[in-house]
Amino acid sequence: MQEKVITITSGKGGVGKTTTTANVGSALALLGKKVVVLDGDIGLRNLDIVMGLENRIVYDIVDYVEGRCRLRQALIRDKRAPELYLLPTAQTRDKSAINPDQMIRVCDELRKEFDYIIIDSPAGIEQGFHNALAPADRVLVVTNPEVSSVRDADRVIGLVESHQKGPAQLIINRLIAERVKKQEMLSTQDIMDVLSTEIIGIVPEDEAILSSSNRGTPVVFNGKSPAAIAYRDIARRLIGEDVPLTLPQPASWWQRLFGKTG
Amino acid sequence: MIAIKGFKHGLVIVFWGDSSNTPWPTRLRELEAKLSANPDFFKGGSIAFDVKATPLSEDDLRHSIALLQSYEVTLWAVLSEDEATRARVRALGLADRLTPPGPAPAPVPHQTHEDTPFPTATSSSTPATEAPPLPAHITPAEEGYIEGSDGLLVRRRVRSGQVLRHPGHVVVIGDVNPGAQLIAGSDIIVWGKLQGSAHAGALGDDRAVICALEMSPCFIRIADVTHIPQPSRRRSRHKAGSITMARIQDQEIVFVAWGGADRLLE
Repeated sequence: MQEKVITITSGKGGVGKTTTTANVGSALALLGKKVVVLDGDIGLRNLDIVMGLENRIVYDIVDYVEGRCRLRQALIRDKRAPELYLLPTAQTRDKSAINPDQMIRVCDELRKEFDYIIIDSPAGIEQGFHNALAPADRVLVVTNPEVSSVRDADRVIGLVESHQKGPAQLIINRLIAERVKKQEMLSTQDIMDVLSTEIIGIVPEDEAILSSSNRGTPVVFNGKSPAAIAYRDIARRLIGEDVPLTLPQPASWWQRLFGKTG
Repeated sequence: MIAIKGFKHGLVIVFWGDSSNTPWPTRLRELEAKLSANPDFFKGGSIAFDVKATPLSEDDLRHSIALLQSYEVTLWAVLSEDEATRARVRALGLADRLTPPGPAPAPVPHQTHEDTPFPTATSSSTPATEAPPLPAHITPAEEGYIEGSDGLLVRRRVRSGQVLRHPGHVVVIGDVNPGAQLIAGSDIIVWGKLQGSAHAGALGDDRAVICALEMSPCFIRIADVTHIPQPSRRRSRHKAGSITMARIQDQEIVFVAWGGADRLLE
């Protein structure tokens, strides 16, 4: 079976799940795949904001599940890529508006039309997480190089295993090479000592992310910022290309001299 | 007579003997004696009863659940040779056999009501969290009883939030991560790095030991003696050659580097 449904989760909040979903989904679409990104965070909607599609929401996934619209009406087309869609979530409901079975059925519908369905899981390990996990063929766990987020990632990786959805793959987000070198931040090796699961991407800390999230344009759409390159590499690994994993390196003296970072 | 047994997915309390002359409340008092003697061993766990041929009424079952709850223990299954008892067990939403919990069932199946409850700790993570089912590539021989002895052998990494509880020995081939918990009635052996917490001799055996290739636990207990390592000890976790055994000496937990162990075990 082709792995179509990819759930992006983390346990801890604020580690970059939504940014990762937006960028990996967009990058897959730029590679010519037909992609839908699905906001799993019912009640705390924000994938639409990061994607810059907030003002186009008419219907959402809860409307579809409760029969108020057809699936096609809830999907929002993103014109920046050939075939990229957003399935938004409801802002006025909570996680219990949908259960895991319904989530599986929604994804089964989407599987017929799309190459990839990328689900942005809410933080936590409660029902929203179970909703996002239930339809997954593949699970990506996002962590920051920091102790509490690694601890939560470990918990989530264990839960993914016990739901027979493993092994989860790891995205290390917001790594700052200079701080790792000064031993102020966990290194990739420190993280692997605890989690020991395959890394599918290492995304360096990048100022471009903040401004792109505020503008509603995922970084992969424009430019060569370090994070954009890392997200495009993750997308290429997901479609099966062999892209070697490179560790972000501290800026050399001449890069610092000419004001380039990363 | 009551026996505590461990199996791959948790604990089973076996009620041996003919019950016709021992009323159920008396047997529950016997169980309560066990629970109150070693509350830490049971606390937070999920257990099953094996009541053999003893018929239980619905009230008997409810009293059992309530007793366990007062010790923060969840009753998830009752095995019985009596069909009427099994029916009452199922009617209360408990399992009537020790099927290894597979992929945890969808926590809230087929409910569309607004008031759909969140999955609670007990419904979504019953024995599955205690010891997650094996990944398909691990054969049963790699995890389960060590044949002919009383122990649980686990051949994988134990991750944060996972609990291994067994009345005998617990042996882990793999690392025990921060946030993971091992609770053994007897010894604990970790062929790997112990960074979670470990409680050996949790049924009162103060001769129990904890061994690890790398000892950097969050805290350890042996019987009722607790040791919380100083931060300096935790920072030195990457130091090589830290194969260590912990045991009780003069009411304190002492750590012995490998080499001195055989002397101390005498």
